[in-house]
Amino acid sequence: MWNDLVELLFQAYEQFSLLPLFIEIALAFIIIAIAATIIAYGAIMYKRYKSYVHEKRVAFINPIIEDLITEQVLLNDSLGRDIPTEEIEFNPEAITNKVYKKPFVRQILIDTLIQYRKNFRGEVGDLLRKLYLDMGLDKDSFAKMKSVRWEKKIKAVVELTQMDITISDVTILPLTNSTNASLRAAARNAYIQLSKNEPFKFFDIATEPLLPWDQLEMFKIITTTKDIAIPNFSRWVSYSSNKSVVSFCLKLIAHYDQQSAVPAVMELLNNKDHYFRADAISCLGKLSAEASEEKMVKIYNHQPLNCQLEILKAMGNIASGKYLEFLKSEFLFSSNFDIRMNAARAIIKHNTQNSRLLVEELMEMTYEENQLIIKHCLNPLIKY
Amino acid sequence: MSNILVIEDDDIMLKAIRNILRKDGHEVITAKDGKEAFEKLDNEQYDIVMTDLMMPYANGLEVVSRIRSNSEKRNVGIIVCSSVGNEETITEAFRLGADDYLKKPIMAGELMIRIRKLLANRSGNVKLVTKKK
Repeated sequence: MWNDLVELLFQAYEQFSLLPLFIEIALAFIIIAIAATIIAYGAIMYKRYKSYVHEKRVAFINPIIEDLITEQVLLNDSLGRDIPTEEIEFNPEAITNKVYKKPFVRQILIDTLIQYRKNFRGEVGDLLRKLYLDMGLDKDSFAKMKSVRWEKKIKAVVELTQMDITISDVTILPLTNSTNASLRAAARNAYIQLSKNEPFKFFDIATEPLLPWDQLEMFKIITTTKDIAIPNFSRWVSYSSNKSVVSFCLKLIAHYDQQSAVPAVMELLNNKDHYFRADAISCLGKLSAEASEEKMVKIYNHQPLNCQLEILKAMGNIASGKYLEFLKSEFLFSSNFDIRMNAARAIIKHNTQNSRLLVEELMEMTYEENQLIIKHCLNPLIKY
Repeated sequence: MSNILVIEDDDIMLKAIRNILRKDGHEVITAKDGKEAFEKLDNEQYDIVMTDLMMPYANGLEVVSRIRSNSEKRNVGIIVCSSVGNEETITEAFRLGADDYLKKPIMAGELMIRIRKLLANRSGNVKLVTKKK
């Protein structure tokens, strides 16, 4: 049988080698295409079968898990009786059931507990965490942290963060500087949420950039996490060599109105990078740092357009009234539309007797396009 | 025993709230979306309606608005329970007629107390109305 097959293949090859070249190429393509289709189709079928089996398992196990959580947590008789959560005991038989030894059941259990914890805080939330610990599910999460696959590591970090389980600095800090952007972001977010004393310690070792989307996520976490220790961010403005960390710290300085950071931020006005300077100017404006106005006016003429615009916006925020003449001349004599627009807005933002008189004066003395700019800026319904 | 309609599209949350409220001695009817909620509201009287905000078919604000515009159901107590925490949405819910607003994640104890208080207020109001009549 085997010999017959070999002989058949040999004959087929002999006949194949007698065919013209272009037929040989066409046949080779056909065979490759058929093989690739069979492999792809097989892979799809295998994946579908796996997900079907998983769904079946989940459908079978979900009611068991929900019963466990309902009986042991939601309907626990000790709830609402002023008993500390740590002292509440679960039914040992219920939590040591054989079914909870299977890895896929434990994973579904972790996912379900996380889902519950997203919806419940207080005693129920604490009891969910205790159930997670008492069933040893934290060990599963820590085991995933050791995986070589980054998706598993992210899952572990998210699980431990959601369950408020402290991860040692030795484990998490290297991940905050991982070359994988997703893992890096998850680890940084976890570090901020879990580290009680120094949630921004990873800024010290960050060599990888904080991507704009990561900054947005982190900003949301920092501003919404309760009892977070907010440090003086000027420390990183002065010493960090990571530009994205400095840029992010400037945003945080402005958000937390850290007036003590003004000198450190003013130092950045001498920085060679004009994007940096623009961020620093914007930060000074938001801090209403009057002390920086003189320097900003001094450097104004040597700046690229983005920095000039930021200076004009900052002067509108600071609104000291000392540089109305400067703003007036920029509005009247600049050939750039954006500069005139921002100068007009800065004058109007002063909202003082002098600034209002200046606006009236400008309306009388200037030409039609500039009058339109002033009218546009005076309209409180137009923000941009 | 009070009759409570819980409208929530998250299965886990729906079952959890149902179990908590049943433990507290209430009769609980559930609906998974706005459409199912409207059907149940048309067919039965409830003492309290507890609704999520973001749901398929009709959102929680529409549910609140529809209950308040129906003269027969105007006295139903309404609690909105949502993860949406912005001022605009919360004030809009109260403006439309919600009696209470719970922000997720919720505390089970707090939920039970708020439900009991709302029921007590309602029964007080009903007594006042019957006395005036």
